[in-house]
Amino acid sequence: MTEAKELKVEDIKKSAEEKGCPVQKALYYVTEFISGPMCGRCFPCALGTYEAKIRLRNIVEGRGTAADLSAVKRIAEDMLEGSLCMKGKNTAKFILEWMGTGVYEEHIEGRCPSRECAAFIEYRIVPEKCIMCGLCKDACKHGAVLGEKKKSYKSGYLPFEIRQKRCVKCGDCLPVCPTDAIVIVDVKAKTVQTVQTV
Amino acid sequence: MANMVNLKIDGKEIKAPEGTNLIDAAEIGGIHIPNLCYLKGLKGIGACRLCLVEIEGMKSPMIACTTKVKEGMSVNTKTEKVQEVRKFVIDLILSMHPLDCMTCTKAGVCNLQQYAYDFELKESSFTRKKFGFAIDEANPFIKRDPDYCVLCGRCVRVCKNQGTNVLEFMGRGVGSKVVTADDKPLQESGCTFCGSCVDACPVNALLESDRWRKGREWEYDKINSTCLLCGNGCDITVNTKDGHVMKINAGAAEGSPEKYICAYGRFGFDCIEADNRVTAPMKRVNGELKETTWKDALETVANMLKKAGSNAGFISTAGILNEDALTLKKFASDVVKTKNADTTASLYGSVDTLISGTAKLDSADLFVLVDLNPSQWERVLPAIDAVIRRRVNDGAKLIVINSSEPKISSVATINLIENEAEALKSLAKALMDKGLSGDEKLASAVENASVSEAMEKAATLYIEAKNPVILSSPAMYQASANITLLKGVAVSVPVESNAKGAVMMGLTTEGKSYKEMVSGGLEILYAVGEVPLNNKPDAGFLVVQNSHMTELAKQADVVLPSAAFLDADGTMVDYNGRLKYVAKVVEPAGDAKSHREIFVDIAKAMGADMKEAKESETKKLAKVKVKAVFSPFERKEGLDVKVDEMIESVNASVINGSRLLWLKEAAVCA
Repeated sequence: MTEAKELKVEDIKKSAEEKGCPVQKALYYVTEFISGPMCGRCFPCALGTYEAKIRLRNIVEGRGTAADLSAVKRIAEDMLEGSLCMKGKNTAKFILEWMGTGVYEEHIEGRCPSRECAAFIEYRIVPEKCIMCGLCKDACKHGAVLGEKKKSYKSGYLPFEIRQKRCVKCGDCLPVCPTDAIVIVDVKAKTVQTVQTV
Repeated sequence: MANMVNLKIDGKEIKAPEGTNLIDAAEIGGIHIPNLCYLKGLKGIGACRLCLVEIEGMKSPMIACTTKVKEGMSVNTKTEKVQEVRKFVIDLILSMHPLDCMTCTKAGVCNLQQYAYDFELKESSFTRKKFGFAIDEANPFIKRDPDYCVLCGRCVRVCKNQGTNVLEFMGRGVGSKVVTADDKPLQESGCTFCGSCVDACPVNALLESDRWRKGREWEYDKINSTCLLCGNGCDITVNTKDGHVMKINAGAAEGSPEKYICAYGRFGFDCIEADNRVTAPMKRVNGELKETTWKDALETVANMLKKAGSNAGFISTAGILNEDALTLKKFASDVVKTKNADTTASLYGSVDTLISGTAKLDSADLFVLVDLNPSQWERVLPAIDAVIRRRVNDGAKLIVINSSEPKISSVATINLIENEAEALKSLAKALMDKGLSGDEKLASAVENASVSEAMEKAATLYIEAKNPVILSSPAMYQASANITLLKGVAVSVPVESNAKGAVMMGLTTEGKSYKEMVSGGLEILYAVGEVPLNNKPDAGFLVVQNSHMTELAKQADVVLPSAAFLDADGTMVDYNGRLKYVAKVVEPAGDAKSHREIFVDIAKAMGADMKEAKESETKKLAKVKVKAVFSPFERKEGLDVKVDEMIESVNASVINGSRLLWLKEAAVCA
């Protein structure tokens, strides 16, 4: 029983590491930890992770403030000190790993360095590159791409663009674009910057 | 006496018994280590992490509730590191706790409030969490409000430890909740409404139902007393305000396995202000009971008693206080000059079968339960049930000897469901075979007893036990006491609270017994207190001296209002032979007087000068040394009562006059 649980913590850590953004990693870890292996026996861990989850979500969703940041830091530090078992202490360590590297502060300021946190980025179509093939429109499950395919016998056309309200930033449109016309933009920075796709 | 260990806590030299944990050790030295989940008497679980302390030589902080004292230990309870963790935890709990201390009933005794004050937390710095759990207040005893719960788990563990097992956690962490099985209301969950959980709750999550705006703890006067509602005679702490009882708590020392009272003791106090309370003397005029003056009532009774003389009879409850019993004895024999004065104790015991030794219950490691069927659920000697279950949970063993299977046998190590006398004989034989020596009479009595395999095991347990305690019904007491000639101590458990005291005061008949008096033939029958009678016995004249209008009182010729449980003071002797004080916590209702005052007044009306019995006299009489002597292995004849019916019957006015009636009605509905 315990062995199975221990294994799960490792699994969570592994899946969390697959994410690029450290804040996302921490949020994923904490969320999975609460719904899975957390035993809830000691207060710092049981109540602390829940609060950490709220605060991390605030940060990830772009509502983060300096207070959130210091709260997460305090929770992690006190959990490390006060938790009953290694599960809690490891969770705290995981959160603390990226503390002080400036990543969290950047999120508070409105930037996600790895451009993963949806709140800080926008997908846009660069009109100069767009050939109006319509592939992205077919690929988008959420109907966020507007525009009409260019037809040779017609003189007018609707340019392709992404409706931000509908876009969930899933990234499905990125690989289908033959000309790399879709770019991810920092909302705050407002500078167009192409992401290096591997 | 346990070995003492020297240690230093916050620089203070402290001596604590070996095996004590740091929280208790610090408490000895007057230092409080914050905690929410620890409860003295239960094993520490280290959940709340408030009790973290730093010990010199240890790298990381340790939790005080599970760390035992060691010679030369040096402990710091207030370092910056641990204070920060404490503040953090309190801060987190506050984020999910209603911050309404201004109207909260528990204000003043709430641990959370105290710690929030200590750590200067006006409110939580964390995100406010609201749950809106349903409140369980469908019963008149205990209100459960999970919104206030701090998840310390004390109630869950207290309930498990005493064997009632009603409460359990649902879920983990934030949003989890203490529930009954299937989250049903308490009355459908097998709850006995003993309220142990209410005493354990550090906050306002579990509370007596009637406490809303009935004053807060700092307004209460707390008086230690003893419950008189069944044979256990549990310690209680009565909280009063403005001359009214507000609540009753278990009064035994913190951490003692005896810190328990049942629903009767905790919630039965409404009865002293009930409608069926007799507040003035009453006399039958033209076939109808009418209120009269004390003077008239006393003179009537005095005349009747004078006329009857030796043909008068007194029957009394065995729940009567020592002083009242002794005064009654003197009154009957010296003033009325009758030999007929007996108590209900004669229904189930006698001098030889009631007066027994005193056992150390908190260190008992083996209980032998002979012919007793204690049950918290039926409220039959519930405290014994709770004590045994708690001790068993802490590692003590239990041997049940009974001819039918009692409920408690489910936690017994060995069940010997057979004839009790034969079983005890066989046990004595097995013990002697294993090397214990007793006197010759015992040896010859058990010579041809057969020893079964289970009995062999029981004997081994008994020999291995350091402090074996035999608890027996009065009928089987003398046979059980034979075992103590070899080892251990035996205690005879009566049905009513002061049966032992009444017998010690000499209130046993020299003429007609209780049963004979009730069957008729007396010129005047004088019933004191609540006796298990519903129909008027065949007697020329019936006087009932009781606090409540019972069925019997309604048929009496004269009713004299006496003080009830909680409004008379005196002493009593509990089942374990301990002399206990009963306090007068409120003034008697109306014109009611204590039993002994009434006896003295009647004596005066009869022209005799009699004084109330004093505490010094009763104390002397209550000191009885018990020396075990051999008696035959047999059940004493004529001492069989149905214990459950008797307890209910002698508490009829307590039950009918209080919210306990709801229990009976709810049971009918179910």
